[in-house]
Amino acid sequence: MSRPRAVATRLDLGLTRLLGEGSEGLRIALGSLLGARLRSFLTTLGIVIGVMTVIAIVAIIQGLNLAFEEQIANLGAHTVYVSKYAWFIKGQGEWWEMRNRKDVGRRELEAVEREATLATAVSPQVNWRGTVTHADHELQGVRLTGTNQRYLETSGGTVAAGRFLSDTDVDLSRASIVLGFEVGQRLFPGYQPEAILGRKVRVEGHAFRVVGTMARRGKLLGMDLDTIVLLPHTTFAQALGGKRTITLAVSTTPEHLEELQDQLTGILRRVRRVPPDRKDDFALNRQEQFLKLYDQLTGALYAVAVGVGVITLVVGGIGIMNIMLVSVTERTREIGVRRALGARRRTILLQFLFESSLVAALGGAVGTALGLGVAQLVALLSPLAAAVTPQAVALGLSFSAAVGLAFGSWPAWRAARLDPVEALRYE
Amino acid sequence: MTDPLILVSSLHRHYQLGGETVRALDGVSFTISRGEFVAIVGQSGSGKSTLMNLLGCLDTPTSGVYRLNGSDVEGLGDDALADLRNREIGFVFQTFQLLPRATALQNVELPLVYRGVSRRERRVRAARALEAVGLANRAHHRPNELSGGQRQRVAVARALVGEPSLLLADEPTGNLDSATGEEIIRLFGELHARGHTILLVTHEPRLAARCPRAIRLSDGRVVADGPGAEVAALGAARAVHA
Repeated sequence: MSRPRAVATRLDLGLTRLLGEGSEGLRIALGSLLGARLRSFLTTLGIVIGVMTVIAIVAIIQGLNLAFEEQIANLGAHTVYVSKYAWFIKGQGEWWEMRNRKDVGRRELEAVEREATLATAVSPQVNWRGTVTHADHELQGVRLTGTNQRYLETSGGTVAAGRFLSDTDVDLSRASIVLGFEVGQRLFPGYQPEAILGRKVRVEGHAFRVVGTMARRGKLLGMDLDTIVLLPHTTFAQALGGKRTITLAVSTTPEHLEELQDQLTGILRRVRRVPPDRKDDFALNRQEQFLKLYDQLTGALYAVAVGVGVITLVVGGIGIMNIMLVSVTERTREIGVRRALGARRRTILLQFLFESSLVAALGGAVGTALGLGVAQLVALLSPLAAAVTPQAVALGLSFSAAVGLAFGSWPAWRAARLDPVEALRYE
Repeated sequence: MTDPLILVSSLHRHYQLGGETVRALDGVSFTISRGEFVAIVGQSGSGKSTLMNLLGCLDTPTSGVYRLNGSDVEGLGDDALADLRNREIGFVFQTFQLLPRATALQNVELPLVYRGVSRRERRVRAARALEAVGLANRAHHRPNELSGGQRQRVAVARALVGEPSLLLADEPTGNLDSATGEEIIRLFGELHARGHTILLVTHEPRLAARCPRAIRLSDGRVVADGPGAEVAALGAARAVHA
């Protein structure tokens, strides 16, 4: 059964044929779309809604991610926070266990400062909440942080006026204080960062001299970073009590982060005399843990969004399949004519696939545009941010075209399988 | 060129219909040379539609030989049949079978699309084919803007555009009034005079009588094959006696 020679068409002939059939297919597809505008519109509606939902949700989630990552960056990407408490605990039992641990104190600080060779900066942080006053102005619930001169390196922030705490402030336990933006503004009407340098404020009744003011920082995970005052941790211990547990913020370079953790573990186990067979009685916290937890949360959201989107797209795809089946039936005679005139099965198949994916891709494009609009609207009307990545758009478009292909393939296959004799006779 | 254009030998086409075998064609043999104008006549149910589908490469025989322009058609695959139809056969149908949304020119271009002819050449050749059937001024009209006779002329132009070796017309006047039908038959006469090979499938003895040759089918067999007028008369006589 050798095929006739002429069937083995030359490449260029095949190409011209493919181009001709392609443009013919496009013409037919457009013609039938425009020929039944209402029907095409209703057919694509499912896809439009599906893609719109996914794009809007993805845009909002990505906006949240960006905002969150920006905030988390404030914690310092390459900083390890040593504390007796872990940031994330699994249950109350664990919390009690941690509460009963020895406090982290001056001994640990000195050991880490002395021995942690991989650290680029170490700052102790001891926190309390208290009242700060100036003249007859009073601000309650201010975060009081005892720290040292390396705080800016480990935990971020910039000085707006004056200077930050110095090593002399710490060594001599001076009554120096750096005010957060909000504190300065609330205690000094007509606040000018430069103007209040050298002024006196009282922290829980103890007098301090303002040596510097911080620039505005905003919020971190709902925590106000501007309602804060920073004092030397030595002064803090004298004025507010030295029996509080402290957190050590230890910074390093990105490539040494893992090694630093090992080093810190070694130092702390030794200083705190943890027997070799016992678990660590301290925690090394990193901002990455926040990101992980956050990724888990948004990952679930993502999954739900994608699930909803996929279901809608499948429903939309069934709509397309339905319309394509109707279209194949309506055009049975046309298919017969085309077959009689020399269209191969493949040609008919491609023609219908072309049509269904075009419908779906159009729906996808409209849905993407609407989704972006909805996301922008949400961003405008609510505190939620919206960020649109090109990947999300590409995903929406290609996914809807794929739906068109997948759900168009059965009708197209049916069209291609039609017997030309039967098709020509079809009334 | 001494080979006949069409060689049909012991052609059978059987259908299974509810457990029963229907012998739509039951051993048909004939040859048709290039340039002939042949009518295939017969009552409905005589097998002429089945024969037309086979000759048109729309269907394949159950058994027997069909050679068209040197190619053995029986046993060809679907793609090969499609290509063969495209190159060798021009169809003219009773119901015109034009694509409603396409213009006359686009309808005529269609066989060339499936042959891989470039767009520019398609245009030129389709316009020339429309001119040949006297419809050059209707090229951009859609079928619903044309009269029945004009539609059938467009269909003839579409059948001719690919320069096939065989023009296969299935009751081409069946949906036309007698004057317009007459026009189309005259058009076929002209095409025959220009050297085209034409097969006209019809149930009307009147049309067959005007063809130089006619083949009469009955119950799936050839019962007469001769000059059109004689075969047609035979049918008419039979019809009278029946």
